[in-house]
Amino acid sequence: MEQDALTFRNVSAGYKQRRVLDNVSFTVREGEFVSLIGPNGCGKSTLLKTAAALLKPLSGTVELFGRDVQRIKPAVRASLLGVVPQKIESPMAFTVSQIVMNGRISSMGRWGTPSSLDHDLVERSMIYTDVLGLRYRFFTELSGGEQQRVALAMVLAQEPKIIMLDESISHLDINHRQEVLQILMNLNREKRMTILLVSHDLTLSAGISDRFLLMEAGTLARAGTPAEVLEPELLSRVYNCDLTVQQDPYTGFLQVSGAIESLRRRGKLERSVHVIAGGGSGIELYRRLLIEGYEVTTGVLNRLDSDAEAARALNIPVVLEQPFSPVGADAIAKAMEMISSADAVVLSQVPFGSGNLVNLQLAEEAIQRGKMVLLAAGIGERDYTEGKAAVDFAARLKRAGALNWNSIHELMAQLQQQPHH
Amino acid sequence: MGMKGSPICADNSFTGTGKVKATWKMVLFFAIFPLLLALSLLLGPSGIGIPDLQSPSGSAILSLRFSRLLMGMMTGAALSASGVVFQALLRNPLAEPYVLGVSGGAGLGATLIILAGSGVLATLSLPVVAFVSAVLTLMVVYGIASQGSSGQPSVYSLILSGVIVSSICSSVIMFLVSTASVEGMHNVIWWMLGSLQPVTAGQQLLSAALILGGLAGIWLLSPRLNALALGREMAHYQGLHADFVIVIGLLFATLLAATAVSLSGMIGFVGLIVPHVMRAMFGPDHRKLVPLAALGGGTFLVLCDAVARTLLAPIEIPVGVVTALAGGPFFLIILQRRMKQAWIA
Repeated sequence: MEQDALTFRNVSAGYKQRRVLDNVSFTVREGEFVSLIGPNGCGKSTLLKTAAALLKPLSGTVELFGRDVQRIKPAVRASLLGVVPQKIESPMAFTVSQIVMNGRISSMGRWGTPSSLDHDLVERSMIYTDVLGLRYRFFTELSGGEQQRVALAMVLAQEPKIIMLDESISHLDINHRQEVLQILMNLNREKRMTILLVSHDLTLSAGISDRFLLMEAGTLARAGTPAEVLEPELLSRVYNCDLTVQQDPYTGFLQVSGAIESLRRRGKLERSVHVIAGGGSGIELYRRLLIEGYEVTTGVLNRLDSDAEAARALNIPVVLEQPFSPVGADAIAKAMEMISSADAVVLSQVPFGSGNLVNLQLAEEAIQRGKMVLLAAGIGERDYTEGKAAVDFAARLKRAGALNWNSIHELMAQLQQQPHH
Repeated sequence: MGMKGSPICADNSFTGTGKVKATWKMVLFFAIFPLLLALSLLLGPSGIGIPDLQSPSGSAILSLRFSRLLMGMMTGAALSASGVVFQALLRNPLAEPYVLGVSGGAGLGATLIILAGSGVLATLSLPVVAFVSAVLTLMVVYGIASQGSSGQPSVYSLILSGVIVSSICSSVIMFLVSTASVEGMHNVIWWMLGSLQPVTAGQQLLSAALILGGLAGIWLLSPRLNALALGREMAHYQGLHADFVIVIGLLFATLLAATAVSLSGMIGFVGLIVPHVMRAMFGPDHRKLVPLAALGGGTFLVLCDAVARTLLAPIEIPVGVVTALAGGPFFLIILQRRMKQAWIA
């Protein structure tokens, strides 16, 4: 049925001193919408340049509709394949229609005079990408999104069968990105144009692509449907960070995320801190301690407490208790376990009431076991217990050697002075 | 010359107000430039006005003015069109024959010929030797700039090595001049200052052929120059033999610059500024820019020459001085007002 539009057969490519692509083989069939993904520097741009015969493969062959791309005449190649680069820079003040007319350059006669067909095609491409209204404007004065649509119009004017886009939309804001993607989807669905899109937005690409090509350090790590390629373990290895893939329960779209979990990877200190917090007073501490490279544990917290939510999102081990319940013996035992394997215990600026006073007992226990205990200053203002029990606790803790901290900055300095256990 | 206009009156390929404005400006330009050329025939050290054609001296004066007009047209057109090509291929507003060492190389070759002798063979070989040495210089510049880069040299390394090679060429010229005989020194220095003194008929014919050939070649390339202005990579994607066009373009531009140098010496300014002004007035579409810049550059140089020979008559000011002194401020005003339509850097 569909013929092969672009085929790489065992292609190795790159530059004199540096081989970038290593034995890459894949096929893109006519009418497919394929996203090419992979971390920066993995060879995506080199792959596009090799596909467009700008680079000659060191070995292997690239075929465009069954013909060796190196042997196709440039003008014919331009009628099969169009490339939208990351950014077009026009040093001179060309108008939009002059820029788009460049798409017809290899089809015009020797004298370079556009025929009425050329004018028609240029106008049609500008209508399709919605830039006709800009045609007398200077290209350089347009916004990034408008420039990309003009670039797309120029490439459409070539009437290619495949369009390759090299991170052309990565730097656009979400609105303009959607606009360009919508145009690409229409081209793919209505005109059956084959699209190869280099993309960094895995979630967005998953929603619109038939297939993914995942590259890793010059090789093809996997090719397949979005669900086949977007596997957390595979992505985490290729992108070298923790990534999760979730399926939206309503739309079925795959969502790739990872920014927050990846904070944990900075850990190098091999020192752990147990945080006693609650009511949102721990969020800032968790983040900062993770960023500084500490292993962090926390508890006891009530379920639904905002600190409990934060700990879960940040993947921090946490001891939980039912909401609005006094802390039970089980939870206390678990928290004590965490504290005994921690190097220090930090108490946040959490307000104390009868329900969480037990956390101060944990701190007292910790100091008796020789742990460093750091106490947020000003506990008197946060003490809502009867008879100011928390203040008494704090005084006892300080006599036993607990330190006060006033700011997170000060806290970090104190933690760094702590001897390694 | 059509300096007023809406901010978006640059040429376009569609019908609309832009096209009307552009056409109107073009008509004005084509009406004015022959008048300016005719004006130059009225100016000279012997007085202002048409010389008495009945007297032999009068007709000699007119024919002299006419051949200077031809010299100016040839030189100005060649330098200006050459500048257009260098600016387009290097995508840099500073590019011109001098910056890449092309003029310096041509000048060195021409100096050697001038010092070697003054026979018919010497004058005829002048443009050829200038061209060959300019091409050699360009190759040296390109070679230096390519060192350490895989593939294409960057524009910045090209310009940097061009400036260096250019100053080496002028040092060698200075050295040759300082060791030359008095007569040779006189010839070279007069030639270097730049003047439109008519050369021998043979050299004029040969130069005219070379310049017309170069201009025609560049005009043929001009649609491709539009695509190359977006960069070599983009031109490749649009189906051009990009590297081939670049090499051919550089060769034609070098041919024009070298012939101009061999004809009239070192005349600066025309190759840099006239392309910018024409681009500011008529837009950057090279299909129109190449012929317009050729006409504009020629007319500009002819006018400057008329001023140069008339202003302090009987003393003749070197025409290069006039191009910079008179043209500079005038063009600066135009560029300041309309730079946006010429070059957005």
